[in-house]
Amino acid sequence: MIDERMEEQAALHVLGALSDVEAYEFKKAMKADPELQACVARLSVATGALAGSVPMTEPPPQLRAKILAQIAPAQKSVSLPERKSGFALWLPWSLATGLALLCVLFFAQDSRLRQTIGEQEKQINNLNSLAQSLSAATNNLQQTVLALQETNRLAGLKIAMLNSLLADAPKAIAVSLWDNQNQNGVFVAQNLKSLPADKDYQLWVLDNGTTPVDAGVFHVDENGGVRVEFKAKLPVKTAGRFAVTEEIKGGVAAPTIKNLVLASN
Amino acid sequence: MSLCAQTVFVRALPIFDARPAGNFLFLTKPVNELEAQDRDTELLRLIAGGDRLAFAEFYDRHSTLMFSVAAKILNDAGEAEDVLQETFVQIWEKAAKFDPKLGKAASWAAILARNRAIDRIRASQRRSRLAEAAGAAHAIAAEVSESANETLYGHDKAKFVHSAIVELPEEQRQAIELAYFSGLTQDEISKKLNTPLGTIKARIRRGLLKLRDQLEGVL
Repeated sequence: MIDERMEEQAALHVLGALSDVEAYEFKKAMKADPELQACVARLSVATGALAGSVPMTEPPPQLRAKILAQIAPAQKSVSLPERKSGFALWLPWSLATGLALLCVLFFAQDSRLRQTIGEQEKQINNLNSLAQSLSAATNNLQQTVLALQETNRLAGLKIAMLNSLLADAPKAIAVSLWDNQNQNGVFVAQNLKSLPADKDYQLWVLDNGTTPVDAGVFHVDENGGVRVEFKAKLPVKTAGRFAVTEEIKGGVAAPTIKNLVLASN
Repeated sequence: MSLCAQTVFVRALPIFDARPAGNFLFLTKPVNELEAQDRDTELLRLIAGGDRLAFAEFYDRHSTLMFSVAAKILNDAGEAEDVLQETFVQIWEKAAKFDPKLGKAASWAAILARNRAIDRIRASQRRSRLAEAAGAAHAIAAEVSESANETLYGHDKAKFVHSAIVELPEEQRQAIELAYFSGLTQDEISKKLNTPLGTIKARIRRGLLKLRDQLEGVL
């Protein structure tokens, strides 16, 4: 149960009216007290409303691009699992060394152990390379989308990123740009898997975000990439989303749900 | 294609579910408040992982509120721009520190902008401006044609929020405004209003609780 004094402190805290020392003490108390955290959360409803009660003043439109540009050089790296440090890092190696010594002592399986370690290191390197390439590809596409959104915002273009829905092609990714006025678009994809000769990829524009409209079939190059200009087979009112399915050669009239490959959100 | 087939296709994945048509990254806001809060929390999680698209969306959702707060405190559009820029860089770097257990992302973002604006006044040794602000007209006018809350809650709710605030007893509202918009500590407010510290604390507590009780469940 929060007493009146702590409730007062909580109110002063959410308003920023505690001195530095008081704020430090309060945060310490809050960390250990879920009830006090809930009290602060409830009071922040009031301060949030208070903040918004001032007259609305729009920031200058150019500020958005300036801020986005400012964060670009400070690109964060995709977080990878934390490395173990100190004792935890050396323990497996110590054990490995001990095992190796035992192996030497018993004159057996030495080369096999080395080979295993080598393969594991190789696997780790491969995984690191994969993570880096995925990170780079995602960042490049994000930057492309942001740049396109910035430059074409006023032109009424729809830009969307499509992500893979396949477990066996997780790197597949695409960007679709749709000009509603001219009823055509450009589709760019990477890392799609090659299809057998009797199959095609088929692109769909989801009119109003729900009704699939055929936007044609396409093939990918040997690297799984494609850049294609497309038109919808029927008039599209609002291109809400985009999807790609795997279909029989030449495409189909209605998408095959179980064969969804890529979709935007 | 039959309507049934369309429906099946649309329901095949969560991304094709009942979101409003035309839902697109920068252009629309979620329909209800809970959805908006979840979205904000998700955006901050993505920002913490370095997602620039999420950052851009978060900017579009909250920059007006944050800029309005900074502009009101600083009374200078140029300085408010600097504050907005600094605050968004802070969000980019510290998004992981946001704890949804301690309140809404919008309140968190607003208080970051508010703190930066107050710090800026303090750092430039313009304490007199704080005192001026404290003595000047209330930050929250009796009549506001369009408040920053409209960007978050729409016209009707923003009007309701405004009424709830202006209907607080004068001495409670004054103490709350001096703390939030003028950046005065409880001691400074006590001195400024020549009122015992205990009374100031009680006024702030009662005022905020009253506001909370009126707004909880509505926002």
